[in-house]
Amino acid sequence: MRRLLGGVTLLGLAAGLVMAFVVAPREVTQGSVQKIMYLHVPSVWVAYLAFGVVLVASIVYLIRRAEAADQLAHASAEVGVLFTGLTIATGSIWGKPTWGTWWTWDARLTSVSILFVMYLGYLLLRGMIDDRERGARFAAVLGIVAAFNIPLVHFSVYWWRTLHQPPSLMKPGPGTMPGIIVAALLVNFAAFTLLYVYFVAKRARLLRLEAEAEA
Amino acid sequence: MPDNWGFVIAAYGLAAIVLIAYWRFLFRREKELDDARDVRQQLSHTREPNPARRGPLS
Repeated sequence: MRRLLGGVTLLGLAAGLVMAFVVAPREVTQGSVQKIMYLHVPSVWVAYLAFGVVLVASIVYLIRRAEAADQLAHASAEVGVLFTGLTIATGSIWGKPTWGTWWTWDARLTSVSILFVMYLGYLLLRGMIDDRERGARFAAVLGIVAAFNIPLVHFSVYWWRTLHQPPSLMKPGPGTMPGIIVAALLVNFAAFTLLYVYFVAKRARLLRLEAEAEA
Repeated sequence: MPDNWGFVIAAYGLAAIVLIAYWRFLFRREKELDDARDVRQQLSHTREPNPARRGPLS
């Protein structure tokens, strides 16, 4: 089953690359550098999804004390940190030719950095506490608290004056992007979501095997 | 704006390196843990008493 998921994910990523580089047209204002959008935006979507799963799994763990929920939260947080790091790095690479700077302390960039550091702290906290049950409990609380930063990241471009543009896709009202660019973006969203599911399934299995080995 | 393919290649290249490195980490760790589990299972089988080798009084 996981092999099938891996194969479908690989096909999805290949389709995403074809859509981004072959099918989607060259954007008039930014030129070829706009192609980074097909990587940057799905990455932040996966980060939101991953931390949303951490929130739900952490609540379930605190209520039911189910080890599987804790393992899901742990795996999802790790994959979320990976994709948040990718979002920051690709955004920085995109920012240099379009804004003229690698980094600026505007509301979106600052809030996403705080999100990254909070979940990095979540993973460090898990590693620091020897008592597995206690570590899981503390991590679940932090996983819930840190999730409140997700709306702050998303709406920061509306609430403060920022260099970062407002969302083009994940927003209320009619879209402003051409259909073919939206289609290319949606294929990449689907591919990255599959990659997230594949990584989390694999990581959660590793956590289960590690728990078995320690028992 | 001039075409900046260098930045595009840098972004996609970095993402490819990071994602492949993470996949390799998961793949290797899974193999290690699967191997360790197989060894544990083999050991537990060899430790189990064999009823066919018991004597009449055991």
